Amino acid sequence: MRIYATVVYLFLYVPIGLIVLFSFNAGRHASELRGLSIQWYGKALSNPFAGDAFFTSLEIAFIVAILSSLMGTAAALALQSMKGPLRVILDGLIYISIMIPGIVIGIATLVALVTVFDFFNPLLATLWPEGYTPPKLHMGYASVIAAHTLFTMSLVIIIVRARIAGMDRALIEASMDLYASPWRTFYQVTLPQIYPAILAGFLLSFTFSFDDFIISFFVAGPNTTLPVYIFASIRRGITPEVNAIGTMVLAGSLSLLIVAQFFMRDGRRRAKVN
Amino acid sequence: MSKNSDKQITSKQFMRQLWRYKRGSISRREFLGVTGLGMATAVMGAAIPSLLPQKSWASTDLGDRLVFSTWPNYWNQANLDEFTANTGVNIQVNAFGSNEEMLAKLQAGGTGWDVFVPTNYTISNYVELGLIQELDLSRIPNYDASANNPKFAGPATVNGKVYCVPKNWGTTGFIINSNKITSGPKSWKDFFEVTKGEGSGHTIVHDYQLTTIGAALCALGYSFNSIDPNELAEAEAVLIESKPHLFAITSDYQPGMRSGDAWMSICWNGDATQLHNDLPEMQYVIASDGGEIWTDFYAIPAEAPHLDAAYAFLNYMQDPAVQARDAEAHGYAPTDARAIALQPASLATDPILHPAEELMNGLEFGAAQTLTDPNRAELIARFKSA
Amino acid sequence: MAALLAPTTLWFLVMLIMPLIVILIFSFGERAAVGGYGGGFTFEQYANLPARLKAFQNTLTYAPLGTLLSLLVAYPLAYFLALKVDRRFKLVLLVLVIVPFWTSLLIRTYAWIYILGGRGIPTILEWIGIEGVRLINTPTAVLIGIVYGYLPLMVFPVYVSLEKLDKSLLEASNDLGGNSFKTFLQITLPLSMPGIATGCMLVFILLMGEFLIPAFLGGGKVFFIGNAMVDLFLQSRNWPFGSAVAATLVVIMLITVSIYMRLAMRNKTGADQSLM
Repeated sequence: MRIYATVVYLFLYVPIGLIVLFSFNAGRHASELRGLSIQWYGKALSNPFAGDAFFTSLEIAFIVAILSSLMGTAAALALQSMKGPLRVILDGLIYISIMIPGIVIGIATLVALVTVFDFFNPLLATLWPEGYTPPKLHMGYASVIAAHTLFTMSLVIIIVRARIAGMDRALIEASMDLYASPWRTFYQVTLPQIYPAILAGFLLSFTFSFDDFIISFFVAGPNTTLPVYIFASIRRGITPEVNAIGTMVLAGSLSLLIVAQFFMRDGRRRAKVN
Repeated sequence: MSKNSDKQITSKQFMRQLWRYKRGSISRREFLGVTGLGMATAVMGAAIPSLLPQKSWASTDLGDRLVFSTWPNYWNQANLDEFTANTGVNIQVNAFGSNEEMLAKLQAGGTGWDVFVPTNYTISNYVELGLIQELDLSRIPNYDASANNPKFAGPATVNGKVYCVPKNWGTTGFIINSNKITSGPKSWKDFFEVTKGEGSGHTIVHDYQLTTIGAALCALGYSFNSIDPNELAEAEAVLIESKPHLFAITSDYQPGMRSGDAWMSICWNGDATQLHNDLPEMQYVIASDGGEIWTDFYAIPAEAPHLDAAYAFLNYMQDPAVQARDAEAHGYAPTDARAIALQPASLATDPILHPAEELMNGLEFGAAQTLTDPNRAELIARFKSA
Repeated sequence: MAALLAPTTLWFLVMLIMPLIVILIFSFGERAAVGGYGGGFTFEQYANLPARLKAFQNTLTYAPLGTLLSLLVAYPLAYFLALKVDRRFKLVLLVLVIVPFWTSLLIRTYAWIYILGGRGIPTILEWIGIEGVRLINTPTAVLIGIVYGYLPLMVFPVYVSLEKLDKSLLEASNDLGGNSFKTFLQITLPLSMPGIATGCMLVFILLMGEFLIPAFLGGGKVFFIGNAMVDLFLQSRNWPFGSAVAATLVVIMLITVSIYMRLAMRNKTGADQSLM
């Protein structure tokens, strides 16, 4: 059993090890190791496109995570006490949006938005006052965020709903009986119980959006996200620069995790003291 | 750097600066300076001094970026680095494996490209669809039309207007690893025979319509550019029959050839020079039963976001010395006689790059209708998913 | 109440229903002369679907097979982590399963090109006397890539269901003379079914739309529907046919996942209630 686990961990980590090893490659080609150097880290850090792509991804993932947790939680709460055909329809839509592969979402969004834009852009141009450049709708931040949020919002709804289902409803009813306002009930009774689920949904949404390639590939327009940038770099012959970017992202998330762990432990200790 | 940089910046100030930067009311350099990020970049950059862009020759502000879409292994990094060092314009290179893919991206819109590299047979289509700009040649003084052979530069002019400037010309044949393929294939007919024979499991064909379908058509004795449905059906049969014997269907064939996984591939002659120079057993063959001769151009998409930088880049790339260096890196022959004159004799007379006229007699320029022909498009897609 | 649902409903309308309707309309259209959508009403695109039969077959073979393989590799690991590991190391070992997820899937998959390529495993095999093995650009390579890419997604749900397992049950079974294999078959496995169901569904859904892994490790030779669709939109620019393929994929997904859910629910073992 232990040997088996070791083999699986090796399977998981040999490619990662290669990525990290080649990021220190002194040579130009990712495949041949020619001495060690940190030059590709310098190159990656001073490359404004890689930086832009990283910050674009970060920004998009952050907005997606916030939108999804807000809308998803709101919807989960509303759906909880809802019956009838609308509930059935919405449940169906949640289920479909989780189930449709990302590639279909990407393509369908691209095709639909291009069609809509082609319709509205000439219209905008004719409506706009003479002498001013009319605004032009095109793919970009908004389309990526909207497409990612479709999936992640449904994810949050499902996670939060599961949590609500396991929640003690007697508390809410008691709160209502004591004439607390719905807002106060939510804030003081419901929220503390469901916030772990919201947090989990937030993190999942962020991770999904940050690592998504296929949807962004179709709908990002000129705003290159990090995975799309990496895809393009790989196609022009992978250099160790891409490995350096991958290693830095890995190191970044690892240190975040360690920090989070530290804070959690700290929080637990303080809770104990109190 | 501004005097602010030696003071600590608060997170609020940082966000304010970030938004100003996003809105474009301050430059990147100012932003980096004020936020102290410049220090971090400088420390890393100091390890490799040439990476820090220095403005020296730009007379007007060109901005700091340019998005350049081209083919794999088709540029000299030293040239791009020099352009960046001289203008402060950083270049993002996107590589594409086919004209069809570039067209699809441009048709969907919002590419963000400033300069791209189309092949002769696509240009009239791009013009018709309004996807590329007419060039203002006064902004490209380095371009000398008279130095370019009209045979190669011709397709740049559509309806009397110039839409592109030429980059390189070349031929499409195939490459063999002569250590592994010993029967000495000479034609596309031989190519497909070898694919099913000693090259089985080790042959690569391109993943787009023009050359792969063209090769099969030539093997059957038809025109490289045929759009005749019956001839195409025969070509499809040839391709489908060879599919189980292929190593891969890709236009990025160098990695496979270099690693020894692939022994034979449809190949452009400059890539053949690159491979042959590193590995002498790599032999380029211009097929005796036909094939492609082509010119690639630089063009500016209609919606290019960084127009000034695009023109500066085109002008820089037309400099004969820059062209010669470019050609040195990727091996393709320039169309510009001034650049050829600057090349080392070994390149200027290289038989792969400048084959004897009689070898090229059977070659055809790609025809515009192949790009948009629905049957060819569906044939290649069907072949790939077969 | 309505205000709480309004944003979600709007999102579904604009980002789900509208695109699906557009795809449906386009799938009955004709390709424009230069590519794209050219209007019209025809069943031609659906009639042409058999031209992508192989891509559908590949997907419908390798998606379930990949799911099964992931499960076979993941289950013993999850079992080990849930039941055999000392508490102190549990968290670290669990985190180590997710960490690979934090480098881009693209880079991780690309690393496999070198491992499976001529200079990787085949060379090592040659040293020990096994010659002529080809891995890269074969279905095997794609399956290895799939298991590698989706292993953590399988390990976690299974781990969670095994972790919840009442250990006294296992002890009781052993006390009553059941051997450990029998205990596994009669108690552990049935009780971990919800986790298995959830993990399998997650991986299966993702695999049905997979593009990257076959593109990188299949060399254009192991084509999934995802690859066929990217090809139709980004090379042949045949929007109507691409739309028909996409619409068909959605229908296949609806049918297979519904059947799966129904079966899972009926067996009471259930797709994890928390998921649906």
